Amino acid sequence: MKNKSTQIALIYLLIALFAAIIFHKMSVSYSNVFDLQEYNFIKDIFLISLTAGALKFILTKNDKRNSSYLSELQKTNEEIKESNDRYDIVAKATSDIIRDWNIQSDKLQWSLGIETIFGYNKSQIGDSSAWWFDNIHAEDSILMSIKLYSFLEEKTDKWQDEYRFKCADGTYKYVLDKGFIIKDKFGKPIRMIGAIQDITNQKEEEIRLRLLETVILQTKDSIIITEANFNGDQLPKIVYVNPAFSLMTGYQAFEIIGQSPDIFKGSKTNPKAIAEMISSIRNQQENIIEMICYKRNGDEFWLRFTMIPIFNNEQQLSHWISIQKDVTEIKKQEREKEQLITELTKKNTDLKQFSYITSHNLRAPLSNLTGLLNLVEDIKIDDEELQDILNGLSTSTHLLNDTINDLTKIMVIKETPNIAKEEVSIAQVFEKVCTQTNVLLNTIDHNLITDFKKETDFKINKSYIESIFTNLLTNSIKYKSANTQLIIEISASLVNQSTMIIFKDNGIGIDLDRNKDKVFGLYQKFHNYPDSKGLGLYLVKSQVEGMGGTITIESEVNAGTKFVMKFPHN
Amino acid sequence: MLNTILFVDDDPITLMLCKKVISKAAFSDQIITAQNGEEAINLFHNLLDDSEKTVPELIFLDLNMPIMGGWDFLEEFSKPTFKQFHNIKVIVLSSTIDPEDLEKIKEFPMVMDFLPKPISLSMLNKVAEALI
Repeated sequence: MKNKSTQIALIYLLIALFAAIIFHKMSVSYSNVFDLQEYNFIKDIFLISLTAGALKFILTKNDKRNSSYLSELQKTNEEIKESNDRYDIVAKATSDIIRDWNIQSDKLQWSLGIETIFGYNKSQIGDSSAWWFDNIHAEDSILMSIKLYSFLEEKTDKWQDEYRFKCADGTYKYVLDKGFIIKDKFGKPIRMIGAIQDITNQKEEEIRLRLLETVILQTKDSIIITEANFNGDQLPKIVYVNPAFSLMTGYQAFEIIGQSPDIFKGSKTNPKAIAEMISSIRNQQENIIEMICYKRNGDEFWLRFTMIPIFNNEQQLSHWISIQKDVTEIKKQEREKEQLITELTKKNTDLKQFSYITSHNLRAPLSNLTGLLNLVEDIKIDDEELQDILNGLSTSTHLLNDTINDLTKIMVIKETPNIAKEEVSIAQVFEKVCTQTNVLLNTIDHNLITDFKKETDFKINKSYIESIFTNLLTNSIKYKSANTQLIIEISASLVNQSTMIIFKDNGIGIDLDRNKDKVFGLYQKFHNYPDSKGLGLYLVKSQVEGMGGTITIESEVNAGTKFVMKFPHN
Repeated sequence: MLNTILFVDDDPITLMLCKKVISKAAFSDQIITAQNGEEAINLFHNLLDDSEKTVPELIFLDLNMPIMGGWDFLEEFSKPTFKQFHNIKVIVLSSTIDPEDLEKIKEFPMVMDFLPKPISLSMLNKVAEALI
């Protein structure tokens, strides 16, 4: 550079000297004034040399200054490059998303993370702050903006906030955004660099933990956490109690933490329960224990608690958690219930015995009466009045006998939950019932239509099914329509692994609108019939249910009645 | 037709009724009666002493009787003392409906049946058939 200034000065010097020589030669050739020609030439050379020296000095000075500027610029460029390289490396190395916002021009640049973490492609990413704000969750956006702008107005350099930022797929991620402000010499923010961290997992975990904490704090059950091991010869020390515990026992957390739960024991606490608890702690086993405990004010109460061992990652016992409930009221109710059951069982047994004795004592003389009347039937009686009296006596005795027999049957059904069952042919049973009812049946005009499918035979109690058919058949006969032939249709078929028996007649029917709830009830009569005892359908239902079946009725006045019985085979 | 049958029942009307039905059915030649279990046991004691007397072939036994009821009689009668009479069949004739009674019958092999009162001709015919 120095040489260049010298070169320029020399060139200037040579050209000026050359011009001075040319001018001097011309003035010597064409001018007549000789006196001053030598003087002017010398003067020109002197001036030229002087200006050449001055030119060289100025040029040299400029060169020096420029060289200093250049080296300064080079240094700055190197620093900027280094800084940019560092930024790129940091942006690549960090999982954070770096955001560079030029506030004055409102230009915003994002690092690669905006694509990898939020799933945007380049064309979707906006280059202004509007895009940033538009993707902040509506619920967080206003608060975040307020905080950000108030920060920009303040004189601090650093800002941070948490909000939800929208991903390309429309879902939101929780982020922690930390910003740093760059200001101009007047203190006005010109640039903001931000680092955004995806904290969705932490946030969700935080929400989950907060929820779990709410459960512990809000639950009505008392919760205690203790250390893992015995405290000397005492139970492990308490490290935490929840508010429900304080409510239940009267002990505040600060006065109970650090104590052993032995404090709750008292004179009525069952030593066996304590021993069981100690054994569970030794064996590190979960358990549920009930015992009488004592509150802070000395009141006793029944405590039911689970004790659960908690193991750490190394599978070492770290704590015990106990969930506890005051079951005093439940215990009281249990005791009362047990007492009531005992009393009721005794009363029931007494009543049962009473009914057996009553039944026996009624049946014994009645059987004599029946036997004697059977004997009288074979004796010829001439006295008509006596015959009428005996007939009345016989009818009443048989009715009484039937009633007592039915009541006895009902009593036996209710007392025998597991009745004996055998493979029965329904057709044969019905045939037998018809034979037994023949005398009654033959007094009326009737038509019996049967349709028993063979595969419907199944294990059933023979005497029950006989009794059911007898009752239904005699009912049909008793309650037939006057002046109409009695038609009885009875069928058995297999439906869904059940035998379905349908018994249908065209009799006078029952008004179900009025009697629907009573039709299978005890002592319910629906017609004014002298032999009616109001027991038949109750007995039928009891026997059907006694065999695990169900019975339903459809009936219409003066149209007939239909019974549908279903007996599952298993 | 059986030679001799024993009726053990405390009710005279029942006894009278049974006698009449049995004679009507021509079920047995001779009917002997005992009013309770103890009388029946005494009767068998006498039979042990006197081999000349006729041994009943069938016993109709009531359950509810004073002094000694039907079950106590069966307990006593099952003892080895009366071993020689253990081929005699017993029919329990009772108005009981207590399921425990019906279950208890199975404990005594000599009891061949349980019949509800009153005794009837058809019942006797079935018993006769079963005995053959």
